[in-house]
Amino acid sequence: MTITRVLIANRGEIAVRIIRACEALGIETVLAVSEADRDSLPARLAHRTICIGPASASASYLNIGAIVTAALGTESDAVHPGYGFLAESYELAKACADEGITFVGPSAAQIRQMGNKLEARALAKKCGLPMLSGSDKVETAGQASDVAARISLPVMLKAAAGGGGRGMKIVTNQEEMPQIFASAAAEARAAFGDDTLYLERFIANARHIEVQLLGDRFGNVIHLGERDCSLQRRHQKVVEEAPAPAITDALRDKIRQAAVTLGRNIGYENAGTVEFIVDQDTGAFFFLEMNTRIQVEHPVTEAITGIDLVQEQFRIANGERLGILQQDVTFRGHAIECRINAELPNEHFRPNPGRITTFVF
Amino acid sequence: MTDAFRILSDDEVRQIALIIESLDRSTFDFLQLEFGDVKLTIGKGQPPPLTGTAPLVPTASPPVVPQMPSDSVAAPAAPSQPVAASPMAGGQSDDTIAIVAPLLGRFYAQPEPGAPPFVAIGSQVTEATTVGLIEVMKTFNAVSAGVSGVITEICVQEAQIVEYGQVLFRVRPIGKP
Repeated sequence: MTITRVLIANRGEIAVRIIRACEALGIETVLAVSEADRDSLPARLAHRTICIGPASASASYLNIGAIVTAALGTESDAVHPGYGFLAESYELAKACADEGITFVGPSAAQIRQMGNKLEARALAKKCGLPMLSGSDKVETAGQASDVAARISLPVMLKAAAGGGGRGMKIVTNQEEMPQIFASAAAEARAAFGDDTLYLERFIANARHIEVQLLGDRFGNVIHLGERDCSLQRRHQKVVEEAPAPAITDALRDKIRQAAVTLGRNIGYENAGTVEFIVDQDTGAFFFLEMNTRIQVEHPVTEAITGIDLVQEQFRIANGERLGILQQDVTFRGHAIECRINAELPNEHFRPNPGRITTFVF
Repeated sequence: MTDAFRILSDDEVRQIALIIESLDRSTFDFLQLEFGDVKLTIGKGQPPPLTGTAPLVPTASPPVVPQMPSDSVAAPAAPSQPVAASPMAGGQSDDTIAIVAPLLGRFYAQPEPGAPPFVAIGSQVTEATTVGLIEVMKTFNAVSAGVSGVITEICVQEAQIVEYGQVLFRVRPIGKP
């Protein structure tokens, strides 16, 4: 293993997860912490911590300069971005590459390619994946209305720079299009710095099925099965399970193959997930988007395949050939992950864990 | 080995290792620490006859001296000392105020190579005085003293990476003896 020291640019559960993989691989860990996380669990597990900024995420975990400088300053060979924060930041991946630091993830180009949802759609279409009828960029509410009329309502108005369930609005009738279009554009501009919108047909009776991929630098891409993440709250996954329980094996196979096709076509490196929508009424499936990072729910895939995805991430980042062939991937059992959200119902369900006084496990 | 270290938390052991590293990089030969019932002497050659528990006060060029609490290290619930001292804390039993790094980056003591440093021990500073630069990805940020007084201690070396909140200088505020 050429990587001997990694800077972990994240916190909480995924930081602990990465540290565990590093312990197994004999990689030294340097944890980047904000002021607030100096005494966190991962901070106590890492070989060393380095404080990269104050508690505010924008000044710490989202601070590319601080992260890259911390990696250089601690002579770390690599940076693992975890998930969320800068895990899908083209700028971070590029800055690492420019400084000779290995980014544990895909290339900056691949991140950018899949990060723009319109570009991802075009690519998936070129690879022959089944696509939801939709549009390219729609510049005005009028254009949006035209497209909506063509593909028939209801439609989903989406931000090209969004993804992950963010920046999406349903339009059920033409009367509300101008107002929804305007607010969608404004919100996209505020949240993503880009107000480019596009449309897709909305599937009411849908399942969210995603496929875990691993790809190395030699063009080998394998899938590790699918996950069903249909149970969501405000477009955020609450329950994830593997394998997907409500699809036929024939459909399962087609979805897995479609994901591999996309991965192979772009020469995808490292861990990633291709997401699909399944129309339960028709049994058809459609490409949704691709996430170019390790995901929160990756453990359910690990549980049924016995493959340690984070360790594989490091091996791939190290330039090693994938040591797993597709036929080596077997599935045993069923795994379910449930996310526990603590919210204040009287305050619009604002996330708040309150004060935990007793915990029984 | 494990017996001797049972009284120390994992974190304390880790901190000791970092201190040893720092000592190695500094101009000092010995460091004697006492925390709780544990007295630790680290050094090379014959230890000088030391009394007391305070760390050696630098007289030579600014070494990397981690700020040690002279009393017992608290339970592992406070692991942020000693290498990265808690920001803004006065720290020592004297009345100095710490100037801490407002961001992570590479610290430069002088405006450019070959130029004299912004400040030295004994320099008078006001709140607006630039005491150093911190560089992040080729962007240089000036660090202001934020306090009026006299520099009593330089806690960082030229071109050293400093963490957010790391103590850079100690200042004896104006008005105190």
